[in-house]
Amino acid sequence: MNNDLKKIFDKAKLEKRSCLIGFVTGIDPDYKTSKKILIEMSKYCDAIEVGNPFNTSTSDSSIIMDANTRALNSGANTGKIFKLIKEVKSEIRKDIPFIIMGYLNPIYIYSIKKFAKSCKDSKVSGCIVVDSNNNAPEDKEIFTSLSKVNVSYIKLIAPTNGVSYIKKSLLRCSSFLYVVSIAGTTGSKQVNLKNVKKSIQLVRKVSKIPIGVGFGIKTKEDVSKVSKVADAVIVGSGIVDIIGKNTKNHNLTKKIGSYLKNLKKGLKK
Amino acid sequence: MKIPPFKEINPPNKNGYWVNKKNGQVYGGAYISPLLIPNLERVEKGFKKALKDKKFIKGLEEQLLNYIGVNTPILFSEELTDLAGGKNKIGKIFLKRTDLHHDSSHKPVNAFSSCYFAKHILKVKRIITETGASMNARAVAAACAKLGLECEVHIGAVDEEKVNLNRNITELYGAKIVVVHDSTKTLLPAMASALRSWQSSPDSMYVVGSVAGPHPYPQMVRTWASIIGRIAKKQFKQITGGVPSTLFAVCGGGSNLMSMAYPLLKERTKIFAVESGGDGIKTGRHGATILGGGKMGILLGMKSKVVMHSSQIAESITEASGLDFASCGPEVAYLHDIGRIKFLSSTDLEAKKTFLMCSKKLGILPAIEACYVIHSALKEIKKRKNPRENHLIHLCGSGESNVTRMLKFKRENE
Repeated sequence: MNNDLKKIFDKAKLEKRSCLIGFVTGIDPDYKTSKKILIEMSKYCDAIEVGNPFNTSTSDSSIIMDANTRALNSGANTGKIFKLIKEVKSEIRKDIPFIIMGYLNPIYIYSIKKFAKSCKDSKVSGCIVVDSNNNAPEDKEIFTSLSKVNVSYIKLIAPTNGVSYIKKSLLRCSSFLYVVSIAGTTGSKQVNLKNVKKSIQLVRKVSKIPIGVGFGIKTKEDVSKVSKVADAVIVGSGIVDIIGKNTKNHNLTKKIGSYLKNLKKGLKK
Repeated sequence: MKIPPFKEINPPNKNGYWVNKKNGQVYGGAYISPLLIPNLERVEKGFKKALKDKKFIKGLEEQLLNYIGVNTPILFSEELTDLAGGKNKIGKIFLKRTDLHHDSSHKPVNAFSSCYFAKHILKVKRIITETGASMNARAVAAACAKLGLECEVHIGAVDEEKVNLNRNITELYGAKIVVVHDSTKTLLPAMASALRSWQSSPDSMYVVGSVAGPHPYPQMVRTWASIIGRIAKKQFKQITGGVPSTLFAVCGGGSNLMSMAYPLLKERTKIFAVESGGDGIKTGRHGATILGGGKMGILLGMKSKVVMHSSQIAESITEASGLDFASCGPEVAYLHDIGRIKFLSSTDLEAKKTFLMCSKKLGILPAIEACYVIHSALKEIKKRKNPRENHLIHLCGSGESNVTRMLKFKRENE
């Protein structure tokens, strides 16, 4: 397990709260603004997920797809996302872990080995690949390559996945397991706490790994509900929506800051 | 008519990969978020069950024969044979008249089979599909109407705006049309939107219009579609006494190619796939995957050859909406890799000229997609110069939805 990620869960446990993990697409709306946004997020989040944009994503809501388009129009690519993270990390508190989240094709084209090396060089702590299947040869290669450089491979599971799928995912999963809170897509519908609880119970029967819950969590009330059952709350489209609506607004980073500040109030167990 | 039964002669492995044993390259798989895993597992389990269910197969074949009209003729084309140099020089050219199907293309065979499968095996009541204004959605909508299923078609806002015969027919068949305003507002975001809809409603089935997508779709779609080729193979034997010396079929995603090529894979037939060269492959504005510099990539749930800019999926540019796809099915890419299928290409201009030629000289309006293949086939057959050969060209659809653009082209070039 990556030590930086372990620390945030240990710390939150002591403080009797869950962790707040914020997601934005990297280089959205452009490199300079994205850097400012990430620095602002680091003031409120325990960890930060940076999306590596892909123009043919199959599990994103229109909010995230639009963010991908803005980022790609600003010249985003895997190499630049690493550069961005490295620069941000040099300017903020060292103990805030960064996670790269995205689709397999950009990693596959960049080369999985080179990707793992870049994770190490940019001090990325974890990696999530939305469309990597446990049975795919690339999945094994990602897991092995990341393990060698002490970067956590974080697996996604859905409320509709059975125990055998969960067990198989856990074999390659470290730091935390990402439970999707709705049988839908990122940011599209309301949080379905009943499904989340069912999924968490299934996981808890077979593992003690920390659990992060994401997809569709937008309000302080959502955060508060999820905090009661999970170790981390992941908020993405709520932040990205603010970016989408304020690309030309000078107060963009401030707006994100106050949004996250408010969400933090919901983290108590 | 007795339809030759389906035999699995080129199966993927248990994880849905075709593996080139010489170089270790794998094609296919299922690269999809965990949200869709249970849906795919249901389809895969159902597909295996369906193949063993004699009553299901019999019922399906009966509908394909009498509702779709899958037993279309094979026509000896004297005109094309003469154009290529005459019987004494090049042998004979035959056309498989898939353009005579219900709804005028090869698409209704997979569309109807998939919907029939969804109704009778998966027992679902709702079908989800997407379209880039081509023939698939129209065929799915018709099948749903016939089978009493709800139909939801996702279409990008840009494609939706184009007044299009197929889109209007889809609506008349009673499909619910979901207009997608995401990203580029074209086929790829429409597919993403359809997949999202399937994720949220596991009580429905997603119909893929080509031999593409995550396992088991590439295998399943070519299995359904192969009835066209099984019948054609039998007919061809009755007419000529043997299998075709060559087969020519156009290739976008590859469903029309595989529908004809699959039953001939183990025969001596030389198989040629024809891609859309757009404005010319060298210009970079084309719809060709194999000849257009496609590299191994992962998109829409499969690993196959993909045309990309850096790691992003490129937009294909072609006159033919049915060939507007920056990739091809994994089995197709595999068969190319092992040398079983050879690839050729024709430009948009060559296809358009062929459309006018066929209309005037053959008395047939071929789908613009089929014109790429007719052009390349004539060129290749001329080169072969073998009077003992019998050539088969897949005339995969009718050109009724191309009429407006083609008439404009005709008038501009007279």
